[in-house]
Amino acid sequence: MPDMNSLAHPQQHQFNPYTENGGTILAIAGEDFTVIAGDTRQSEGYSIQTRYAPKVFRLTDKAVLAVNGFAADGNMFVKKVRQRLEWYRHAHAKDMPLRAIARLIQTMLYARRFFPFYVYNILGGIEEDGSGAVYSFDPVGSYEREACRAAGAAQSLVQPFLDNQIYFKNQTPAQDTSHPVHLPLHSVLALVIDSFTGATERHIEVGDGLEMYVVLARGNPALQSLQDLPGAEEVTGTQAEERVFVIRRDLKKD
Amino acid sequence: MATSSVYTPAGFNFSNQIRNTFLQERGVPLPKATSTGTTIVGCLFKDGVVLGADTRATEGDIVADKNCEKIHYITDSIRCCGAGTAADTEFTTALISSNMELHGLSTGRKPQVVTAMTMLKQMLFRYQGHVGAALVLGGVDATGPQLFTIHPHGSTDKLPYVTMGSGSLAAMAVFESGWQPNMTRDDALNLVKAAVAAGIFNDLGSGSNIDACIITATHTEMLRNVETPNERVQKERRYVFRRGTTAWKTESVRKLIVNEETTIIGGDAMDTS
Amino acid sequence: MFLTRSEYDRGVNTFSPEGRLFQVEYAIEAIKLGSTAIGIRTPEGVVLAVEKRVQSPLLEASSIEKIMEIDGHLGCAMSGLTADARTMIDHARVTAQNHRFTFDEAIKVESATQAVCDLALRFGESVHDEEAMMSRPFGVALLIAGIDEIGPQLYHTDPSGTFTRYDAKAIGSGSEAAQSELQDKWHKQITLKEAQVLTLRVLKQVMEEKLDQHNVQLAQVTPTGFEILDETKLQEVIEAM
Repeated sequence: MPDMNSLAHPQQHQFNPYTENGGTILAIAGEDFTVIAGDTRQSEGYSIQTRYAPKVFRLTDKAVLAVNGFAADGNMFVKKVRQRLEWYRHAHAKDMPLRAIARLIQTMLYARRFFPFYVYNILGGIEEDGSGAVYSFDPVGSYEREACRAAGAAQSLVQPFLDNQIYFKNQTPAQDTSHPVHLPLHSVLALVIDSFTGATERHIEVGDGLEMYVVLARGNPALQSLQDLPGAEEVTGTQAEERVFVIRRDLKKD
Repeated sequence: MATSSVYTPAGFNFSNQIRNTFLQERGVPLPKATSTGTTIVGCLFKDGVVLGADTRATEGDIVADKNCEKIHYITDSIRCCGAGTAADTEFTTALISSNMELHGLSTGRKPQVVTAMTMLKQMLFRYQGHVGAALVLGGVDATGPQLFTIHPHGSTDKLPYVTMGSGSLAAMAVFESGWQPNMTRDDALNLVKAAVAAGIFNDLGSGSNIDACIITATHTEMLRNVETPNERVQKERRYVFRRGTTAWKTESVRKLIVNEETTIIGGDAMDTS
Repeated sequence: MFLTRSEYDRGVNTFSPEGRLFQVEYAIEAIKLGSTAIGIRTPEGVVLAVEKRVQSPLLEASSIEKIMEIDGHLGCAMSGLTADARTMIDHARVTAQNHRFTFDEAIKVESATQAVCDLALRFGESVHDEEAMMSRPFGVALLIAGIDEIGPQLYHTDPSGTFTRYDAKAIGSGSEAAQSELQDKWHKQITLKEAQVLTLRVLKQVMEEKLDQHNVQLAQVTPTGFEILDETKLQEVIEAM
């Protein structure tokens, strides 16, 4: 009940244009591939708005962007990035390289320093030198290249798992051996699936569906196995030598 | 309150209340209590009452318990579903359960559901909503099947079908479209299961399994995990760590067996006769 | 109405009945009065050379600047109203820096050239009732040399905002003779060293004064970047002629 004391004074109301729509995204870079994944649940408070709202988008044949946070801002941001990529293609007669997209995203985010896109971005793909790469951003444009990154509602659950399984943090190698620098595609896909089933178990905003984008560098030997994988759909745009696939999985719906 | 005493009075202890309010005003966040985000329901049928609940407990947006019990025992023929602060629902129902037992003993009769309802609402009203328990109380007594809801501030409702908790709207939607007077036991159970399932799948605060409890004049049947629609899926990899994975800084081995020397000084043996 | 040529050569944005923009054509004429500038593309890089008209013995030859850097991988030689080139090169420099800032990569040679040519067409443009920012076309032609992922490239721009890619190109007063000489001497496998010598030889032929290290300027863009050859290096090329 409103107390009479506070009603005696002028009340200030402010419109808050932001909401948080839950969900989680992650990306892992391999030596010659990158996996970018996100769940498909979109929620507000305790309600599910939709069980299928993609958070991962193919930008070019070598760049995939995952957005998480405020869904309206995320969708608008992807739209604006795509528009800039199209303009770049017209102006410079080529697809924008991954590191250029990363820098572009920084400038686009920082341009809104004082009215930010309420979005955490993870950009994954293949660099000009053919290596797998992941770039992660904060909402106002600070970014760095990494081997793996999780963001969103279950970041605090998934990132430590990735640190342990990808970077082998807190794991001392056996005598006279060392941990691998890069994991093969099938291991990475298994870790991604386990990250999301795990997050679904313990985080209420994660679930419903999982979309994993796989970007393969030129001549990646894993191509055949991906083409044979049931449920993997190729979404490569044009004549590019990099290949893009989506793998969809169900997640628990409670 | 300022005097220290070895005597601890019964009931709640408010000695840190002023300090905690001060800390809260200074921006120190209060500890998060486990909350049963929850869908709980109850529905009357021809011969009795069916109660239902999901089994998810949350701490904020994290699932604290995937299979908790939200249908609490009051008496042999009265049960109570709890939503809200887990500690409050557990403690309150346990307290009222004790008092109902004592009441039954002193009156020499089976206590009525209204009695439990009255005890609960009086307690919750006394604490002005600070005891965060939202309850669905159901049972069968000498007056027939009874079903109540009790809100955290102490107000109550007596209705043929009720829902509570964050999933109450989803569950009530099912009741509103499917409830009929004088249903059979099976129909009532199926309706309750459908109502809880609606909460489990459409409310993020509810999840995991369905518990149900069917109370009739002669028998109370607690159906723990009557449905398990959210079984954990198989992991893709096995996460077994090699022995020696964890690093250590220093190693020290200590003998756990303490050597004891016994010296017999003589004297007579103890009389054990 | 008085339908003579002079009626249509005043407004910069008025076509003559024959469909010509006289002010633009006059601007192109102005370049033919400028000092000669030459550019040669080789597989190793691009060479730029200009003649500096040292009109007085009191003139400090080093103060004549006809080859300028646009970016680390882009250079530019000019002929005509060189003061106009400052505006264009400033624009090109800003465009190149802006590209690095937004995309973390070097701008392509063609994109930089396009940016300059976009500017060249802004004469007579005005926003609402405001005075136009540029009253006339630029009176200068540029040879833009650079290296990007496509390789070494040489572009020519003129006051009409047209740009064309060349293997070798001469502009300025001696351009006609120089161009035919380049056509004779240029070949696909020409080396950077040969190109340096060739530019100077061609310049020597079309220059009125005797060529020395003070009245020519030589620059090149190679994978290491843009570089104006200093006097000692220039002297070496002159000696190799």
